[in-house]
Amino acid sequence: MSDYPPKLTAIIALFESLPEEEKRENLIAYSEQAKKHEPKPGEAFDLEDVRKDEECTDTVGVFLRVDADKGAHFRITLGPQVQTLTKAMTSILCKGLDGATLDEIMALPADFVPKIVGGQLVRIRSQTVYYILTRMKGAVKVFLNRLRAAQG
Amino acid sequence: MSETNYAYAHPEVLVSTEWLAEHLEAPDTRIVESNEDVLLYSTGHIPGAVHIDWRDDLQDPLVRDYIEPETFAALCAKNGITPETTVIFYGDKSNWWACYALWAFRLFGHTKVKLVDGGRDKWVKEGRALTKEKPQPAMAEYPAPAKRFDADIRAFYDDALAQSQEGLPLIDVRSPGEFRGEITHMPEYPQEGVLRGGHIPGAKSVPWKTAVREDGTFKPATELAGIYAVGCELKSDENIIAYCRIGERSSHTWFVLTYLLGYEKVRNYDGSWTEWGNRVRAPIERS
Repeated sequence: MSDYPPKLTAIIALFESLPEEEKRENLIAYSEQAKKHEPKPGEAFDLEDVRKDEECTDTVGVFLRVDADKGAHFRITLGPQVQTLTKAMTSILCKGLDGATLDEIMALPADFVPKIVGGQLVRIRSQTVYYILTRMKGAVKVFLNRLRAAQG
Repeated sequence: MSETNYAYAHPEVLVSTEWLAEHLEAPDTRIVESNEDVLLYSTGHIPGAVHIDWRDDLQDPLVRDYIEPETFAALCAKNGITPETTVIFYGDKSNWWACYALWAFRLFGHTKVKLVDGGRDKWVKEGRALTKEKPQPAMAEYPAPAKRFDADIRAFYDDALAQSQEGLPLIDVRSPGEFRGEITHMPEYPQEGVLRGGHIPGAKSVPWKTAVREDGTFKPATELAGIYAVGCELKSDENIIAYCRIGERSSHTWFVLTYLLGYEKVRNYDGSWTEWGNRVRAPIERS
């Protein structure tokens, strides 16, 4: 547990304490919050990555803002065909990684996903549950590469 | 029963969203939602619909096979379904899993089945009612079927191999890239564990999507006949086998051939490419 950013650790702990049915109810509640994590009017970002690729069933946009303390703040847009689990993970990750450092995000292992989702739901045809984390890490990596290039 | 029958062979099996909206509480019916998205039903579903999951409810938890007749009977009883109940299926992904569940019901001899044309997406796009309230059907009596009718509508590896060797119709309903062996998964999905790409020798490529319009509803019978009877030269008395990766897209084509065009000897090879593409010494064509 200690490897995860504090806010994500709290979410993981909550899900691990829940029986399967309540876990599902909470995932649905998180999925219904996904729209709240879309970019707001007037917000500026350090990196925007909007695309549809073979890992997901619809377009996903990742918007990254990095604050003065190198803390990351994400906004995500999801196409209408994105699965419910992917929507839930979007809310969980936007909330759980808010303010985490870029290094923390790059070092984050994906092994927390089954702890949140439960082993029963991570199965064939629901693997896109890992996709949002991959895209977030991808955005951080591009940002860091640009930063290093700018620093010469 | 449906006003959009387009001269189908068995028009009574296909119902429109309009028809369903007017028959939500019809006696001796049960609406069943089956999806790829495992949580979608719980986010809201057609009023009165129960949920049947393609894996948790219909597949054996250990062996790659379907449940036994006794388990099927218990599943039906729990969902208020008797042998006389007309089961109306719908779901996401243009009804892939609804067709899969319908086909699985047919495996157990349950022939009173219908499919909602256009599935869940059409219902939602039309702004029709959804509810999170899960129905609590009274426990029904469903005697365990005497057997599973695998031989009638299900093909196994040996059946598909014999079909290939005898030059009989094999319909590959996957995407063209999968058929040609350029990719080993659906274009928008992660890899699902297949070692080799290509298709069964002699198979014809007719992606499932060929049978539907943009809104997921089925094309009229004349257009479907042009695709399968003319384009593939399928004859009404021939043995036909359809396959995809795990049997869900080919369930959709099985439905089209069986109910909309009236072919009588259509089987779904549910082992499909995840079996064939991993099987040692299984012959493969790439083109």
